[in-house]
Amino acid sequence: MNIVWSNFFVQLVAFLILFFLLQRFAFKPLFGIMEKRRQMVLEQMDSAKKNREEADQFIEEQKQALQQARKEAHDIIEQARITSSRQADDIIQTARSESDRLKEEARREIEAEKNKALAALKAQVSGLSVLIASKIIEKQVDEQSQKELVEQYLQNVGNKS
Amino acid sequence: MKGVKSSNMDHLVPIIEIFGIEFDLSAILMVIISSIIVFVLARLAVRNLSVENPGKLQNFLEWVVEFVQSIIGMATDFKKGRIYTGLGLALIMYIFVSNMLGLPFGIVTEGHEGQTVFGQELVVKEAHDHLAWLWWKSPTADAAMTMALALTVIGLSHIQGFRHNRKHYLKHYFEPWPFFLPINLIETAAKPLTLGLRLYGNIYAGEVMIGIILGMGWIGIPALLVWQGFSIFVGAIQAFVFTMLTMVYIGQASIHEDH
Repeated sequence: MNIVWSNFFVQLVAFLILFFLLQRFAFKPLFGIMEKRRQMVLEQMDSAKKNREEADQFIEEQKQALQQARKEAHDIIEQARITSSRQADDIIQTARSESDRLKEEARREIEAEKNKALAALKAQVSGLSVLIASKIIEKQVDEQSQKELVEQYLQNVGNKS
Repeated sequence: MKGVKSSNMDHLVPIIEIFGIEFDLSAILMVIISSIIVFVLARLAVRNLSVENPGKLQNFLEWVVEFVQSIIGMATDFKKGRIYTGLGLALIMYIFVSNMLGLPFGIVTEGHEGQTVFGQELVVKEAHDHLAWLWWKSPTADAAMTMALALTVIGLSHIQGFRHNRKHYLKHYFEPWPFFLPINLIETAAKPLTLGLRLYGNIYAGEVMIGIILGMGWIGIPALLVWQGFSIFVGAIQAFVFTMLTMVYIGQASIHEDH
C-alpha cells in the first residue's frame, strides 16, 4: 500500500470547503424552510384545536339554548293549562252565579206576582164578602138588630177614641 | 483513454511531484468531482424551496435531513446534538456519493515512461512492462483521505468536548480509576483509526474485488452485477456507519447527559 500523504490535506481542505459551502448555500435555507414548515404545522394544529374547542363550545351553547327553549315551551304550555283551567272555572263560576241570580230574580218575581195575586184576591174577596154580607144583611137585619149594631159600632168608636 | 484493464492492482497512481511533494492527481480529481456532485445535488434540491409544495429533490433532501436527525437522536441527545445536523448531512452525502463513484466504471490511461500531465512528469517508481494509470476511483478508497475525514470529526469531538463539557470530558480520561489513563488514551487514539480505516477498508476491498472479477472476463459479468449491487449496499451502510459513529463520538465527548 502506497500512501500519498498530500491526499490527507487535500481531502481535509476539500471537505471543509464543501461543508462550509453546503452549510451556507444549501443547508441553511433548507433548515429554515423545514423550521418554517414545522411552525406552520404547529400553527395549523393549534388553530384546529382552537376550532374544535370553539365548535364544542358552540355545541354546548346550542344544547343549552335548546334546553332553554324546551323549558320555555314547557312553561308556556303549563301556563296555558293553568290559565285555561282558571278561565274554565271562572266561566263556570260566572255561569253558576248568573243562573243563581236568574233563579233568585225569578223567585222574587214569582213572590211578587203571588203577593199581587193574593192582594187582588183579598180585595176581591173582601168586596165579594161585603157584597155577600150586604145582600145577607139586606135580608136579615131588622129594626132591632140594626139598632144593636149601630150601638155596638158607636160603642167601639167610643172605645177607640 | 481505454476501458477497464485486467486487474486494478496493476494500475499506477498518477502522481506528480511539485516542490518535492507528491500529489495524487486521481485523488484530487475525484475529490473535486465528488464535492461538485454533492454540492450541485444540494443546490438543485434547494433551488425552489417551498414550505407547502416541496419539489421531489427537496423532499428527498428533507428525508435525508430527517434521517440524519434520527441518527443524531439515536446516538445522543437530539436537542443538544441538533447543531451537528449540517455536519452529519455533509458527511453522509459526501461519503455516499464518494462510495458510489468508484462502482460503475473506471478510467485508465496507458502511456510511456516520462508521460507528462500539466507539464509535470508522472512519477514511476518501479519498472513496469507497460504503464497504465488509474484515474477514476472512489475518493474513499484511499486511507489518507478517509483518515482526513475521521480525524476532522474526531478532532471536532475533542474540541467540542473541551469547550462545552470540560469537566466531564477531562474526567473521563481518569475513569473509572486514574491508572486507566493509558487505556483511555489508547481508546482515544483508536477511535479515529477505526473510523477512518473501516471506511477505507470496505470501499477499497470493494474496488479490488471489482478488479478481480473483471479479470475473470465475460464469465464474471453476473458476479460483477451481484458484487456491484452489494457494493452499493456496503457504500450506503458505510456512509451511515461513519455518520452514526461521528455523532456517537461527538455526543460522548461534548454532550453530558444527566443521569
